[in-house]
Amino acid sequence: MKKSRLSLVIGALLLVLFLALLFCFQVRTTEVAVVTTFGRYSRDLPNPGLYFRWPVPIQNVYRFDNRLQNLEGKFEQLTTKDAKNLLVSVYVGWRIQSARKFLELFGGDSALATAKAENTLEGLVRNAKNAVIGRYVFGDLISPDPKAVKFDQLEADILKEIKGPALEKYGLEIELVGIKQLGLSEAITGKVFERMRAERDRLVKQFQGEGNARAQEIRSEADRKRDELLAKAQADALRIKGEADAQASKELAILEKNPGLAIFLYQVNALKETLRERATLFLDQKTPPFNLLTGEKPKTNP
Amino acid sequence: MADQPKIPGSMRLTPTPVTSADDASSQALNEALGSSFLLVRIMMALLLGAFIFSCVFTVEPNEVAVVLRFGKPRSTGADTVLRPGLQWAFPYPIDEIVRIRIGETKTVRATNAWYATSPGDEAIGAEPMAQPTLAPGVDGYVLTSDQNILHVRAAMKYRVADPLTFAFKFENITNLLSNVLDNTLFRTSARFTADNALYKEPTAFREGIVMRMREQIEAMNLGITVDEIVVDTRTPAFVKQAFDAVIAAEQDRSKKVNVAEGYFNERVRTAEGEAAAIRFGGMVSSNALIQAVSAEAKYFQDQLPYYLREPDLLRARLRIEALSQVLTNASDKFFVPDRPDGSSRELRIQINREPLAPVRRDPNAPLTQ
Repeated sequence: MKKSRLSLVIGALLLVLFLALLFCFQVRTTEVAVVTTFGRYSRDLPNPGLYFRWPVPIQNVYRFDNRLQNLEGKFEQLTTKDAKNLLVSVYVGWRIQSARKFLELFGGDSALATAKAENTLEGLVRNAKNAVIGRYVFGDLISPDPKAVKFDQLEADILKEIKGPALEKYGLEIELVGIKQLGLSEAITGKVFERMRAERDRLVKQFQGEGNARAQEIRSEADRKRDELLAKAQADALRIKGEADAQASKELAILEKNPGLAIFLYQVNALKETLRERATLFLDQKTPPFNLLTGEKPKTNP
Repeated sequence: MADQPKIPGSMRLTPTPVTSADDASSQALNEALGSSFLLVRIMMALLLGAFIFSCVFTVEPNEVAVVLRFGKPRSTGADTVLRPGLQWAFPYPIDEIVRIRIGETKTVRATNAWYATSPGDEAIGAEPMAQPTLAPGVDGYVLTSDQNILHVRAAMKYRVADPLTFAFKFENITNLLSNVLDNTLFRTSARFTADNALYKEPTAFREGIVMRMREQIEAMNLGITVDEIVVDTRTPAFVKQAFDAVIAAEQDRSKKVNVAEGYFNERVRTAEGEAAAIRFGGMVSSNALIQAVSAEAKYFQDQLPYYLREPDLLRARLRIEALSQVLTNASDKFFVPDRPDGSSRELRIQINREPLAPVRRDPNAPLTQ
């Protein structure tokens, strides 16, 4: 009959759904899963997708986060090769490589297992950090020469130190290690401050001295330059005058044609010049043209 | 069922009233079933509608979406990431829609190397306490290459570049980024001296942090792009005064040098002016001399023919002319004739005239007027 067929279809669908829920499960792209049969490991499912399983009492499915997890180590004091104290904390990026090992070592509860794994890993990281820092000197991390700084190498060394054991013992893949924080012990920070202050004081004195010295230098240079400019100008003026004198002498060579006239002209000129103003003259009757006053005839020959 | 053939023998066995009552009830059941089937049908239609409706979803403009079918991306390649718009997917548990907000800018901060502070203190801009030492785990700091202690912090703004990586690869990408940023601060600071990081090359310091961060993000394939990194640096409160004193001293040094340079410029400019004046003066007087001499020579040449022809006449003329000029200019003139007996008169002069005010005379003045 039509109607009972419909109910049959619905019933079948429901049954399929029920069976699907019982016999199938998904692994999400961010997860890995482990399937156990009667509590014993049977398979790893590292890839996402839809998988078959036997229902609960027979098979169990454990899912774990497959993404890169972040572990931040403690900030603690270490000793370098040259016996200096240094506080270092590192961060570690890890992920589950073997879900089976993870389940067997840390249990099936994902959150609890992750916490346990991080705990274990932290011990590993701490040992590695200790060992590696002990192989480096302080100057490998903090040095005036940038090329001497070996952060890369140090981080790579810590990574190398933990990568093997983490994978072998715990099935954890360590992908990255980096220094998260670096510091000095509290007492040493005080000493660093003292040294910084002393350096600053020295710089203050240096700048003061430099300022005065440089200013003085510039002033002396200014005076020197001034003297030089003036001396050069005077030399130029003298040279010009010399040239002018030479030219004058050349022009005056014409006077050689008749020295008598030349001397006479000079005398006349000198007379005019010397008695130009505010002069007081006493003249006797012989001085022409005053000889006219006494009626003497003008002499034709002075 | 309703039209059963009437068989006489059986009539007695099943009484008619009973038969008719049975008939009525089955008919009622039938009707009830029919109506409930209708109800079921309507409900099924509604469910189907709801099912279809629930398959459609919208991706908002500031996000992209990835559909996971049975836990893994439905498709690979270019259509893995669904762009904004209307999209469809089966309902859970077949498909799962993961929305990733790529439009917004996210911020991550690195404060491992900053002094202990609270948002309240930050808001009012409170200065940190000047402590003579810094306790580990309380006050963070970096060590510079010259072993100075500085506080540095950074805030990085970033956006999602690769949604798949960003959404599925990391358990907590913010923490990871914060760690990498801290790491970068410590590493970059170790390459700079305190003076360079603070004052001389703050840009290079910041650029160094940005560059290292970009490299790291690329190397670790974090699926993000950096928009900007804001870096703050400051000297520890305990030594701040000493650092400020250096800045003041440095400024004082520049001031002194500037003043001296001003003096230099002024002095040299003035000297250049003076030098030009000296040269010009020399030139002018030389020209004047040459002109005067030329005039003199010309005068001589002009007079020479007359002199050669009649020397006495020329002499007398010039002498008298000179005398008359002298006499005209002279302020006092005394004519002293001889005594009647022909002997000269004797004059006695008492000089108590006011001294003549010094008059500057040009040494290069021409000989003739």
